[in-house]
Parts: sequence; C-alpha cells; structure tokens
Amino acid sequence: MAEIALGIDDLHKSFDPGLFERRIDVLRGLSLEVRRGETFGFLGPNGAGKTTTIKAITGLIRPDRGRISVCGLAHDRLEAREKIGFMAEQPYVYNHLTGREFLEFHAELLALPRAEVAGRVAEVLDLVSMTGPADRAMRTFSKGMLQRLSLAQALLGRPELLILDEPMSGLDPIGRRDVRDLILAEKERGTTVFFSSHIIPDVETICDRVAIVVGGQVRAVGEVRELVAQEADAYEVSFVCGEGVTLTTPLLASHRGSDAWWARVAGEHRDALIRELAAAGARLVALSPVRSTLEEFVLRHYEGGGR
Amino acid sequence: MRAVVAIARNTFREALRDRVLYLFLGFALVLLASSKLFGLLTVGDEGKVIKDFGLAGIQLATMLIAVMMSVLLISREVDSRTVYNILAKPVRRWQFLIGKYLGLLATVAANLALMTLVLLVVTAVYLRELDAGLLFAAAMTLLEMALLTAFATLFAVLTRPMLGSVFTLAVFVIGHVSEDIWLLTRHVHGGLVRPLVAAVYAVLPNLERFNFKTEVVHDLGISSGQVALTVIYGLAYTALVLVLACARFRSKDLV
Repeated sequence: MAEIALGIDDLHKSFDPGLFERRIDVLRGLSLEVRRGETFGFLGPNGAGKTTTIKAITGLIRPDRGRISVCGLAHDRLEAREKIGFMAEQPYVYNHLTGREFLEFHAELLALPRAEVAGRVAEVLDLVSMTGPADRAMRTFSKGMLQRLSLAQALLGRPELLILDEPMSGLDPIGRRDVRDLILAEKERGTTVFFSSHIIPDVETICDRVAIVVGGQVRAVGEVRELVAQEADAYEVSFVCGEGVTLTTPLLASHRGSDAWWARVAGEHRDALIRELAAAGARLVALSPVRSTLEEFVLRHYEGGGR
Repeated sequence: MRAVVAIARNTFREALRDRVLYLFLGFALVLLASSKLFGLLTVGDEGKVIKDFGLAGIQLATMLIAVMMSVLLISREVDSRTVYNILAKPVRRWQFLIGKYLGLLATVAANLALMTLVLLVVTAVYLRELDAGLLFAAAMTLLEMALLTAFATLFAVLTRPMLGSVFTLAVFVIGHVSEDIWLLTRHVHGGLVRPLVAAVYAVLPNLERFNFKTEVVHDLGISSGQVALTVIYGLAYTALVLVLACARFRSKDLV
C-alpha cells in the first residue's frame, strides 16, 4: 500500500457568522488521502470548503471534529508543520521588506542553519526567477512577482508536502506555465503536491489524482482518466446495414458515411441498440464510450450539488 | 526562541519603516524642545517645570506610540494575513504573539530612549545639570508601557483595531485615576458605586504606581522597597495579561 502523505478523516468545521444567525457548516465529514509523491488536485466551486480544508491542514483553524495527519504525524504537531510548505491563496507579504529580507525572515522561522540561509534564499529566488528584483521593496512588485515570492517561501524548507491554494490565480499565461513547471519539478524531486485550483486544464495536465469537493464533502476522487471514464454515459456506434432498415432505439445523433453508419446512443439504450442491430442483420464495426472532459465532469458535479 | 527573535526583529523593522511612528516621534521631540518655553512662561522654578513638562511629554508620546503601533501592527498582521505564512510554519501561536510583543516593546523602548536623551540634552543646556533621576523616571515609564503594550496586545487579539486602541486608552486613563476615585468612594455609603469602583480598581492596573515624576522633579527620596515592589507589580501584571492574550490567540480561528 502506498504511503500516505496527507490523510484527512471525517473533517467537520462550522463557523458562527454572528449574533442571531445560524452556524454555517462548511466541512461536513470531508475525508481523503494523498499518497506520497503524487500531485493531487483539489477542485470545487466557491464556498465548497477548499480553503477551509487547507487552513485546517496548516493549523490556521481548528476543526470541530475529525483527524488530519501529515506524513503520519498529527497535523498540529510542530514536526508535522516542518514537513509542510504552504502558499496561501493571495500573496500575503510585508510591504516594508524587500523580497530577499522576506525570504530571510521565513528562513529564520524555519530554523534553517544560519550558514545556509543566504545560499538557500538565493537558490529559491533563482527557482522562481526573482533574483533580479530581490532587493526591491515588495510594495513595488506586480501580482505575478508576489505570487512567485510566495511560492519561494513555501519551497524554502524543502517541504515533503507542498500545499498550494490557487497557485495560478491572477497569473498571465507565462506565469502559469512557470508555476506549472515548478510544480512538475517538485514532483520530480519526490515532493507531494496538494493544490486547489479553478483552472481545470492545468489540473488535468499536472495532477495524478483529483478530488472534487462540493458542500464540504468529497464527491469524487481518483485519477483523471478513471473519473471521466466512469462518467461515460453515451456511446458511439459504427455499423454497416442494408437499405431500408429502420431503428426504433432512440439515438442522440446519427449520420450515414460512405460505407457505414455512425450513431451516438445514451448508455441506457446501448444494449437495446445492439440487440436491434443484430436482429436487423447489421454488422457492428465499433462501439466506444464517449469520454467527457474533466471540465464537463467537474461542472456536472458542481451543478449537481454545489452552491 | 529563534522564531520569537525573528518575529520581534521583523516587527521592530516594520515599525521603524512606518511613517506613523515618525509622526508621533516628531510631535514628541517638538514638545520636548519647547519645554524651555513653558519654563519661561511659568512662575516658579524653571528647572522643575522643564523636567516635569518633559517627563509628562515623554509619557504621553510613548503611550500614544505604544497604543497605536501595538494595535496597528498586530491587527495588520492578521488582517493582511501575513500571519498565515508564519503560523503554517513550525511556529507556535504564543511564539508569534510574544515575538510581536517584544518587537513592539523594543520600538517603544527605542523611542523612549531617544526622547529621554533629548530631555537630558535640554536640561544640560538650559539648567547646566545632568539629572540621573530622569533616567529612573524614564525606566519606570518603560515599565508602565510594557504593561500597556501587553493590554494593547490582548485587545488586538480580542477585537478590531479601532476598539482595541480605545480600550487600551481607557486602561491608561482609568489606570491613572482609579486610585483617586477609589479614595473618594470611601466616603460613599450604600448603592452600587462603591462595589463597582472596587471591582474596576481590583481588575485594572494602578498605573500611578509607575509615576515617579513628583519624586524626581522635587528631588524627594524613593525607597528601594517601593521600587522593587513597583517592578514586581509591573512584571507580574504584564505576564498575566500576556498569558491571557496567548490563551485567547491559541484558540482563535484565522479565517
């Protein structure tokens, strides 16, 4: 069995919005497991509980119920947090510091050996292509630059588990590509990457597995290929048949090619169509499931029980 | 310990790079420099007026710096969510809060030292004397500010910045008059006034204990026992308020 880098079991969290208002249940028994070394996408509509889950993992909020383990350790132990690199949804930085001072400060918090601090800071600055502007005040940085610096602080301690909350939001295509490449490089290094995103094509490209969270619960989890295959609720059929054959099975679409028919049939009518074709003496050439994209799959889940 | 020092240093650096600090500091230095003018305008011993006015100015300016910077810098860290990056690292919540507190106290102490230096220069120039008593009075003001900064830290984790400032200012004002009010109510019999004042007097610190201006300005004797008691009172009260702040922050959800 694969080693678990992040385990979440029956996580519950509700918030008190204020006097005379009902508590809001944000997480309702959320459970999932992320294997060591995999890149795991965490998808869900706004308000689904993604950021709340990430805050619970990183100790920023306390769950009402449930357990979280990081590399086999209870998440609230300091040893567990030594293994985590976290990048928040927005690049939260200090305007009074330069980029280098910001990273040096975080290196101190991580208790990196003093002799290594300058070297490691230079290394991560280079990784996120921020060596040039590193000595400028952060208030002069663009959103993309702040995002890179925020990622750099997450990488400083060579984490075993990298948690990224919307790492590509607000980035231009080049910035997105750079972050994507960095995540892939971390994966190569053996780092487990857990990240939430709204940008589904990126998730599809990078992730080994994904979880879809809706209403504070995981609705689906698995490899992208597996998930979309499960969703195949239509089939494409090619067949050759004589003139004058009339099919009674309802078809979603059909057209006649030069030497064969092509039709799309709903999953529930697949067997009926095959039987009808056999009875009519038609020759079945091909039958294949219609694969939906991850985006279609995700949207169906969002709309089926999201906001 | 390294995390506490790093957070304290970052807080101190942030305060030094904040324009708000220089606004208060500028105001205080102008006030001190003009103490000679007040000495001239007042009937009586010019030297005593300069010292009294100078020490009062230092106390007022340091209090404003302590209140404003404390609430501002702690709330800013939570509101701008820079605290997320810190607490997701192997840093305990109390380490964060104590680091912030020490950084703020260092800021207050640095400003107090600068203002005291200016007052010493003013007395040296105009009165041709170096009064070590001024240093003692300034040290007691620092002790008072350590306690007030602890209250500001507590209110910063309990409430919004504006309310936090108001509450800390209220502690300062009540802390300086509570003893007088308590003495006055000894002559009141019946009703709720007396138990109410007694409760306030018991819960809030008596900040007049740290006020040695009269003794210093008029060159009165101060017993070492009185000083020791004041130091113990200040440190114990500060520790208690910080423990309360850390306990509240420990269970706070950072949403």
